[in-house]
Amino acid sequence: MDCCGGTTEHEDDCGEVKVKDSIDAKTVEAAKALESENYSAGFSTTIETDFAPKGLSEDTIRYISAAKNEPEWLLEWRLKAYERWLTMEEPSWAMVRYPKIDYQGYYYYAAPKAGAKYASIDDVPKEILETYEKLGIPLREAEVLLGVEGAVETAAEGREKPRVAVDAVFDSVSVATTFRKELQKAGVIFMSISEAVHEYPDLVKKYLGTVVPQSDNFFATLNSAVFSDGTFVYIPKGVRCPMELSTYFRMNAENTGQFERTLIIADEAAYVSYLEGCTAPMRDENQLHAAVVELVALEDAEIKYSTVQNWWPGDEDGKGGIFNFVTKRGDCRGDRSKISWTQVETGSAVTWKYPSCILRGDDSVGEFYSIAVTNGRQQADTGTKMIHLGKRTKSRIISKGISAGKSDNTYRGLVSVNRKAVNARNFTQCDSLLIGDKCGAHTIPYVENRCASAQLEHEATTTKLSEDQLFYARQRGIAEEDAVALLVNGFVRDVLQHLPMEFAVEAQSLLKVSLEGSVG
Amino acid sequence: MTTALRDFIKNPTPAELELVARYGAQPEDSRRERAFLAFAETGLPHRRMEAWKWTDFKAALKALETPAAASAKDPLPHEGALVFRFTPNGFEAPVNMPEGIRMVEQPGMQAFPGAENVPLGALAAALSGGGKRPATLIFEITSGNLPRLHFVFSGSGQASFARIVFLIRSGASLNLSESYLGGAGLTSTVLEFDLEQDTAINRAIFQRGGADEALAVTGIAHLGANAEMTQTTLSFGAKVARMETRVVHQATGAKLNLNAAYLSGRGFHTDITTNVRHGAPSCVTRQLTKGAVLDGGTGVFQGKFFVPRKTGQHTDADMQHQALLLEDGAQVFAKPELEIYADDVECAHGNTCGALDDAQMFYLRQRGIPENQARAMLTEAFIAEALGKADDSVREVLLAEAQNWLSS
Amino acid sequence: MRPMLKITDLSAAVGEDSEAKTILNGLSLDVPAGEVHAIMGPNGAGKSTLSYVLTGRSGYEVTGGSATLNGENVLDMDPETRAAKGMFLSFQYPVEIPGVPVMTFVRTAMNAQRKARGEDEISAPDFIKKSRDVAKTLNLDAEMLKRPVNVGFSGGEKKRLEIYQMMMLEPKFLILDETDSGLDIDALKTVADGVNAMRDPSRGMLVITHYQRLLDYIKPDKVHVLAKGRIIKTGEADLALRLEKEGYDGVLGEAA
Ligand SMILES: Nc1ncnc2c1ncn2[C@@H]1O[C@H](COP(=O)(O)OP(=O)(O)OP(=O)(O)O)[C@@H](O)[C@H]1O
Ligand SMILES: [Mg+2]
Repeated sequence: MDCCGGTTEHEDDCGEVKVKDSIDAKTVEAAKALESENYSAGFSTTIETDFAPKGLSEDTIRYISAAKNEPEWLLEWRLKAYERWLTMEEPSWAMVRYPKIDYQGYYYYAAPKAGAKYASIDDVPKEILETYEKLGIPLREAEVLLGVEGAVETAAEGREKPRVAVDAVFDSVSVATTFRKELQKAGVIFMSISEAVHEYPDLVKKYLGTVVPQSDNFFATLNSAVFSDGTFVYIPKGVRCPMELSTYFRMNAENTGQFERTLIIADEAAYVSYLEGCTAPMRDENQLHAAVVELVALEDAEIKYSTVQNWWPGDEDGKGGIFNFVTKRGDCRGDRSKISWTQVETGSAVTWKYPSCILRGDDSVGEFYSIAVTNGRQQADTGTKMIHLGKRTKSRIISKGISAGKSDNTYRGLVSVNRKAVNARNFTQCDSLLIGDKCGAHTIPYVENRCASAQLEHEATTTKLSEDQLFYARQRGIAEEDAVALLVNGFVRDVLQHLPMEFAVEAQSLLKVSLEGSVG
Repeated sequence: MTTALRDFIKNPTPAELELVARYGAQPEDSRRERAFLAFAETGLPHRRMEAWKWTDFKAALKALETPAAASAKDPLPHEGALVFRFTPNGFEAPVNMPEGIRMVEQPGMQAFPGAENVPLGALAAALSGGGKRPATLIFEITSGNLPRLHFVFSGSGQASFARIVFLIRSGASLNLSESYLGGAGLTSTVLEFDLEQDTAINRAIFQRGGADEALAVTGIAHLGANAEMTQTTLSFGAKVARMETRVVHQATGAKLNLNAAYLSGRGFHTDITTNVRHGAPSCVTRQLTKGAVLDGGTGVFQGKFFVPRKTGQHTDADMQHQALLLEDGAQVFAKPELEIYADDVECAHGNTCGALDDAQMFYLRQRGIPENQARAMLTEAFIAEALGKADDSVREVLLAEAQNWLSS
Repeated sequence: MRPMLKITDLSAAVGEDSEAKTILNGLSLDVPAGEVHAIMGPNGAGKSTLSYVLTGRSGYEVTGGSATLNGENVLDMDPETRAAKGMFLSFQYPVEIPGVPVMTFVRTAMNAQRKARGEDEISAPDFIKKSRDVAKTLNLDAEMLKRPVNVGFSGGEKKRLEIYQMMMLEPKFLILDETDSGLDIDALKTVADGVNAMRDPSRGMLVITHYQRLLDYIKPDKVHVLAKGRIIKTGEADLALRLEKEGYDGVLGEAA
């Protein structure tokens, strides 16, 4: 999808919203929706922070690398990416419009002053812990104290809920990783990538940048140069990771770009389910987020990667919010491997994101399940790429876009089938729902088939909420807003099913919050 | 001027230089200049342009040359039709024109709005005319009772350009057919249709060219209130062939049936590109494109529905593209696109790509039909669906041409 | 005398190697020429699977046993060869064939079968006459025969069209897979009349159904109960009545 130019025809959105009937009238309020109060994660934390010098230069990169005490090869790797980045142009083909980003106006590294890792969770600054608590992240919950001997096991036994190990990233650095001991017992490596660089340099060196090459695209290259921290996961051969792994990203510092880098490797016949959650406080400046996620699945391995993203989307006038330019890619390197992306996108002012699968191994499987909700002035251009290289590779894409307010929601996807990918299969379903008459829903699938025995099928629909269904629900006594929520939930059901339990519940309430007001 | 243009196209190919020279030989005309500049902006369209990513004229057409092969024979019937012929240097029209049709051979160029969207259409507009050929050929149709108008584009030469404008006045209707038979290294035509209210047009396009030719047929239509346009294309491709249609629903109640079948053999590339703008409420579009491709052949389908915010309410639009890759080595690229800003709409698209349906194959074989015959039957029926709305006078011929190709 | 259709210890599976699932599990069944046998059995028992395995649909792997028609092993034949040998399946879910009119379809099938058997093609007038006669017996609208096969047909219309094809092609061995479901009362009678008209000392029939209703019209010589992939009970026509009254649990409880 190295496409350019894309949009020439833009709709002006001046004038009053047409109020056609009672439903739309409420719907329209929705549009006015997304008032700042609705964003429950929009508080910021006051802590002392160390910044790299503002702006981007070779010095910034050396500063970051030195701050993290990195080996020489990694510094070289960063510098090479930076050199490359200087020659690249920011892509313009996506259906998103945003003011020109001043790459010199950001801090590329911000770390809480007290230092990155804490021996015990009691050493984690109180403010950070409180932040995570407000977000409902189980860092401290159940007395799972990082580095506190014995606590992990006892706490773990006492829990009934499925357990989630959490790595929390606060601005640029990872502040705590829970359940580490227990994971170690299973042979699972789960730590911040900066630590992994020191503790498992061979693994990092072997896989870093092999799925998303340094020069892949403008934002990925930028990330390669300045990535601050992120998560590293390695599941050894034949191991089924005993719990869900999770990272919470939190952007706090002002004018800070966040450039985390995640690398997950599932060795032969390994399995892992990984959850990523994101929040950012409300700030007027647009914050820049350019992450890279690389997944590698070897023979018979399976990786399930779920994201719930509710970065600050900006206020209803489109002021502030996160610019989210993310490169996520999975490589089904081994035969019969499987990578499954599930995403619930409700936040960010601008989203540019195409979690993809390279189906290299024979009989490998790629899946993409997505719910993207836009409201207010949000713009999302998201989708996936399924690259079929191996024999009998299968992919499945289910995308549900919901546009409300004055937002634009674009599905952009590529299904490409190589000549050698005999009997490859793809099924794609893209549905768009429009709530109110000032938003836009767009579907741009690209299909490239070079294999006669492949079967590809794509279906797409664009509709508004059905008045018949709405009436039916209301006739049975369900309040309008609940009826809409019910219908929207029905609309996205196929995707919600693919989220881990706890996440599905969270996603459901997030959907409701995101559309609040837009439905009366 | 000419030298300035030469600089304008980056790294011009010999073909592009030849086109610049041809432009230089045309009489000065600011409209012509504007159209040519729209082309020169990019030169021959190429893969780095989003709308041309799979159909690269710049790469396919290095130099303007007269192809070795002669034009194909015209399968569409001439009896009972008014026949017009375009060759690279000539134009012939019937001597007597019936009541209800007025033909104007305009020596000067008509303004060509929207040129920047259709670089090869702009090229056709800028370079048509000269010799015995009108720069713009205009038809005014005022009757609902005319014989079919049939246009033949053939004859050998380096390049052939034509521009034809149809004004269909309120209440009138037109039955139109075009045969593009190859023979020129580059053929580019642009046809514009202005349908006033309560009008109808049934347009059929037959295209068959040589494997060393480039061809672009650009159609641009504006539909008035309750106007109905039906278009059926049967295209066998060329080295590169682009069959592009852009339609604007301009007033309430317009209806469009936009169908095409492409059949690409080894060394042939067929591109069906369409863009439909629902610029008025309650308009209907039904689009069906079918393709069958052999080893070494390429099929491209790019369809777009654009539904604007204020004017596109109650749009009812459906786009289907279905392709069969009949052999290993065939390739099909598709981009069925929806861009929608109005909420009270029913829009859908579907795209399938692959081999014949197993369940259907079994059903036929259970009834005793041998595998090869079953496959031929299903493929023919598959393609025929896209040709069903062609006018009675040409439909059987189009079907027969498709069948011959499939069974050979 | 040798039975017309002889199924011995037939096992079959669906799905790809890794997740293959055995559906038929040592099924044996004989249908002599001239007889009508009914097969009943709970949903998912494998009735349709049996009909597909007998007619050669891909995706089913025969893992054991045999099936012969007039002494010939059919399991290795192409579907069309089996059809030419006289096997006809009335599908539980008839398939839509867009773009192919019914008449064209049936005539192509008929001529292909005749050719395979070394017979002459049917002439157009003969074909049309025959079609008209059959359509009349079945109360089929002639317009329907011009439409593409099964496209946009109602559930009942599809079933009637299967019988139309059966009567046109005059097969030797008939498998009717739930041909009665979806039919209204009059259509059920018409279809049954059609089937009865085909009864002949040289023909065999397997009638898969869930309801006694159909068997009131088409009197079976034997009734088999298929469950868990094999025939677990065989009886006379009255077995169907008992099944209807007592349900599978009642009747099978005693068989087990
Ligand atoms: N392709 C397949 N893949 C997996 N399972 C299959 C497949 N085809 C059939 N089955 C399963 O095999 C079993 C038998 O199916 P079958 O269609 O033969 O049942 P049936 O007896 O005809 O049932 P019904 O009375 O509902 O028509 C069912 O459990 C069905 O789900
Ligand atoms: Mg069944």
